[in-house]
Amino acid sequence: MPALVKRMERCPLCGAEFDAEGQGCRPSCPMATGCKVICCPSCRYSFPQETGLAGRLKAFLERRRTHP
Amino acid sequence: MTPPAPATRHALRTEPLDKRVVAATRSVILVGNPNVGKSVVFGALTGTYVTVSNYPGTTVEVTRGTATLAGQPWHVMDTPGTNNLTPMSEDEQVTRDILMKERDYVCVQVCDAKNLRRGLLLTAQLAEAGVPFALALNMADEAASRGFHIDVAQLTQALGVDVVPTVAIERKGLAQLTSGLGAARRSGFTPRYDDAIEAALAEVEPLLPAKGGLSRRAVALMALVGDDSLREHLAANIAEVDLARLEDARRRLAARYPESLRFVVSKQRLAAVDRLHDAVVTRSRVSAASTFARRLGAWSTDRFLGLPVLAFVLFVSYEFVGVFGAKTAVDFLENAVFYDRLVPWTEAFLRWAVPWKGAQEFLVGPAGVPFREHAGFIVGRYGLFSMGLSYGVAIVLPIVTTFFIAFSILEDSGYLPRLAVMVNRTFKSMGLNGKAVLPMVLGLGCDTMATMTARIMETRKERVIVTLLLALGVPCSAQMAVILAMVAGLSLAATAWFAGSVVATLILVGWLAAKVLPGRGSDFILELPPLRVPQAGNVAVKTLARIEWYLREALPLFILGTLILYALDRVHGIGLLERAAAPVVVGLLQLPKEAAVAFILGFLRRDYAAAGLFLHYQPFMKAGTMTREMQIEVVVALTTITLFIPCIANFFMVLKERGWKTGVAIAAFILPFSLAVGATVNALMRWLY
Repeated sequence: MPALVKRMERCPLCGAEFDAEGQGCRPSCPMATGCKVICCPSCRYSFPQETGLAGRLKAFLERRRTHP
Repeated sequence: MTPPAPATRHALRTEPLDKRVVAATRSVILVGNPNVGKSVVFGALTGTYVTVSNYPGTTVEVTRGTATLAGQPWHVMDTPGTNNLTPMSEDEQVTRDILMKERDYVCVQVCDAKNLRRGLLLTAQLAEAGVPFALALNMADEAASRGFHIDVAQLTQALGVDVVPTVAIERKGLAQLTSGLGAARRSGFTPRYDDAIEAALAEVEPLLPAKGGLSRRAVALMALVGDDSLREHLAANIAEVDLARLEDARRRLAARYPESLRFVVSKQRLAAVDRLHDAVVTRSRVSAASTFARRLGAWSTDRFLGLPVLAFVLFVSYEFVGVFGAKTAVDFLENAVFYDRLVPWTEAFLRWAVPWKGAQEFLVGPAGVPFREHAGFIVGRYGLFSMGLSYGVAIVLPIVTTFFIAFSILEDSGYLPRLAVMVNRTFKSMGLNGKAVLPMVLGLGCDTMATMTARIMETRKERVIVTLLLALGVPCSAQMAVILAMVAGLSLAATAWFAGSVVATLILVGWLAAKVLPGRGSDFILELPPLRVPQAGNVAVKTLARIEWYLREALPLFILGTLILYALDRVHGIGLLERAAAPVVVGLLQLPKEAAVAFILGFLRRDYAAAGLFLHYQPFMKAGTMTREMQIEVVVALTTITLFIPCIANFFMVLKERGWKTGVAIAAFILPFSLAVGATVNALMRWLY
């Protein structure tokens, strides 16, 4: 099953905010295991969840924004 | 739905509200567009004593609580964000159903003061629904700081309901908003539609039941635009003969317009909203930059002016991906890093680490022989390291990285939704359903996910056509990146031949689909965020996330593809394949025999196939010695591979979504069709190019 982190995400296409849980690839996709691509429930736009290195970079940038 | 957000400690002191658990007789329902601060208002009113449950029969959460407002006990209910009371999603349907089924309630509409136009579109529908409500102009401080001035008195007069500027996170304005709730009024701001729609409404309204939280006019409008989610409610509440009359009225009305009724009604409602918006909103201190951004935003969605904007975007992407990524970065990684250093180092390391001569030769081939001339398992012609990793890391990775940077810039700038709007118009002029544009644009990211998106189409026929077009001619991001890289080595005319061939094929198949399908269309509503200068941090994070995804998904398949090639090479299967495919590849398409392997491995990943072709022509592109013959070959090969059967992930998704019969039929159509188009392009180019 998709390896998505449960958290709120904002769709870069339509701006909808939604819970990432259950919004990953469907089991029918042979690449679903470990897949981090999220599908927006509002407009269906797909984008990878920013976890791993990207998540760490995001957290670092947010820390710098908060405490410059 | 966003969970209720607690207010800040500072705010708690400024404007205390009573938040005891109370037994209430009246209800206040919070409604509003997504992300306008509804849940913050809910949290401020109700505090921590809330219940969250799924709305019956759905997975959509609805939050309930109680509050004492102006001395009276109230039930408070937070609804999922909605842009439309004629629902287009499960969330929107839940909100509509709550308003339709609840009794004796008043609404608080929370809208984003910075985006009043969107909020007023919902206000107009609440007014049509005859719901008593008050309007909260939330984030009023941010709107003011951005130069928006809203004439609240004029808006109050025009709507006939209380309008209160609020800053929910600081609880500003909430006491004023809730103090008048007991006397909330219905709005008189009811848009008038054209004569045909008003006549149909007059015919349909008497057929509908009087009971329910929404007015007959609102339900009649939903029924006329063909809201399927209303079917159950209508079937349970009106006689079959009246249902038939309603459907007849709907069909007669729909026949009067080339567009869908949903589109016509939304357009006329929006016109009324625009008039009100322009009368009450003024904007000061508008900078030259923001004026230019708004103008550019408007151009980019225009069907004519949008084309030069799109051409500019494609040109810059091509220069960055095709020239910088595919030439400079690939050259450095492939030669300076991989072939000059990493491959010899790996070979030396394995010869040192594995002392047995037989094992050494199996892994890295005989000593002193260039790796492209032997069949080593790790370093060799089809070696896992020298081919698999060099394909994935040295050739495709720099190309997709530059493409992902370009894509993230487009995403963060707000251009992508505008592209969807612009292409939507072009699609409609082709006779295609407007909704089809979304999966097609999403296919540029990943065709597999886009195939799943075809679910938004209304009929099975439409879903099949969209799936077919996606599988046929929409290249995914990784393939698009390699295509841009190869196009960089072509002349402008050859590039035009390639782009023209693929677009013409899509239009031809789309046109045939429009002939097969009846003319009824539908629309999608996409909010356009402001066009802005992309933030470097956002672009970096988005790009990194996509690179991680690419490495995780693509690299294992590149290794698998190389393993298959290695195995085929050992059993002399490659020569066999090339000979078997020669009549088509060499005879029909007039391509080099090596292209056969690229086509077959394209089933694993399309970019793997394109990378094989890229490598074949790369020396000539780099040296600038591409002959006319080679230009034709590249255009024919790229056209055929773009139109060729989808990758394995997409194929499985097609089987799952459309069923194996349709999936196999689509593949069976695409295989000969793509070869036929390739052969036609080849013949035409050799004649005209």
